[in-house]
Amino acid sequence: MTIFIESIMAFFEVAIKFAPKFLPAVALTLQLSFLSILLGTVFGLFVMLLKLTRLKVLEKITDVYISIVRGTPLLLQLYFIFYGLPMLGLEFDSFTSAVIGLAFHSGAYISEIFRGAINGVHYGQEEAGKAIGMNRLQIFYYITLPQAVKQAIPALGNQFIIAVKDSSLASVITITETMLIARQFVAATYNPFPILFVAGCYYYLIISLLSFGLRDIERRLKVNER
Amino acid sequence: MNDKIILKINNLHMNFGALEVLKGINLDVYEGEVISIIGGSGSGKSTLLRCINGLERKNKGDIIFEGKAVKRDYTKLRERIGMVFQHFYLFPHRKIIDNISLGPRVVKHTSKEEAKLQARKLLEKVGLEDKENVYPAMISGGQKQRVAIARALAMNPDIMLFDEPTSALDPELVGEVLQVIQQLAKEGMTMLIVTHEMGFAKEVSDRVIFLSEGQIAEMGTPEEIFENPQNENLKRFIQSIY
Repeated sequence: MTIFIESIMAFFEVAIKFAPKFLPAVALTLQLSFLSILLGTVFGLFVMLLKLTRLKVLEKITDVYISIVRGTPLLLQLYFIFYGLPMLGLEFDSFTSAVIGLAFHSGAYISEIFRGAINGVHYGQEEAGKAIGMNRLQIFYYITLPQAVKQAIPALGNQFIIAVKDSSLASVITITETMLIARQFVAATYNPFPILFVAGCYYYLIISLLSFGLRDIERRLKVNER
Repeated sequence: MNDKIILKINNLHMNFGALEVLKGINLDVYEGEVISIIGGSGSGKSTLLRCINGLERKNKGDIIFEGKAVKRDYTKLRERIGMVFQHFYLFPHRKIIDNISLGPRVVKHTSKEEAKLQARKLLEKVGLEDKENVYPAMISGGQKQRVAIARALAMNPDIMLFDEPTSALDPELVGEVLQVIQQLAKEGMTMLIVTHEMGFAKEVSDRVIFLSEGQIAEMGTPEEIFENPQNENLKRFIQSIY
């Protein structure tokens, strides 16, 4: 019994000792997540707009982009940007590569989420806009988009959560974010459990806060429902 | 009603693929006139209305508004022709007052204050001045339809199109909507109304059109249409209703 308690004490001793040492790496995880969500959303909106132009060429390009992103692993995409693109003369530092890769990746999913949400807005809404003399752009901006964004929030939130966890893959291109630092600490101490436990706690904390924020947004957007 | 023709429909044809919905409609609409369009389901009533403001594109024929044939400029035309839908189509994400003021603000660039002032007056007119700050989900169907009418009126249209405005309403809510439409008729608004409310059509209309298989089978005063129908299909239609 005492051995059990002692080992638990030892576990938390290591965990508490290492927890503060994670902070710079957690900050990087936050930066990566934030930028990939932000840029991914902007990029996703942009891709969706290209698709909405109904121009065949643009539609084809976005289709190819989405199918490539969805058809290959993110890990491979990151390797390609970090190791492959320099061979074509496009060289970025590792942080930029990671942000580009993650945003490029989530952008594809986010554009599909937006597209689905826009298709989900009842056609009568567009007709009502037309009937008061609005043009296509005005209908999109004042009527379709606000309703679509609201529809998209739950799926979008899911994608944001995935983006936070996907940022851990940036460790493979030498970014010392939470997962990489955890591996380094493990290598230094040969004590994986408490260290991985701390890493897990940080991810859980970040995602819990994000979920909380998303729930709050959903709640606020519900004011127009009964 | 006066003798100025505000809208002229010339040989209007429309088909969905192989299905011919309208087979050559000719109609002159006089300023201030109220025309009811009746007919069985699939007779082309709604399609006729929707072709007038270009929600459906005609395949042949002309829509002539105030002497000018409409080419592709439906957006401009729709500022002058209001439309009310069977299922209201209010904007669920906007408060009642914003549903009404959005058109003037966005399309006509009316100032916010002016658009709100006008919206309030319209809400008073349809008897909903106390609903200004609620969302569409919080009011009844009859109230929604009255807001939809106010929204269309906010653009100061020359003609109003009503596409079965009471068909989606519970029976006890029909009256309040018809009352608003009747009030508009008294004020001299030019209106085309697709309706199944025969009593109302009889009372409010200057002319009634009976559509059958994509053509105007009979047209006349309410008395002519309801008391002394000539067309066989119309006779059957009226019998089936009473």
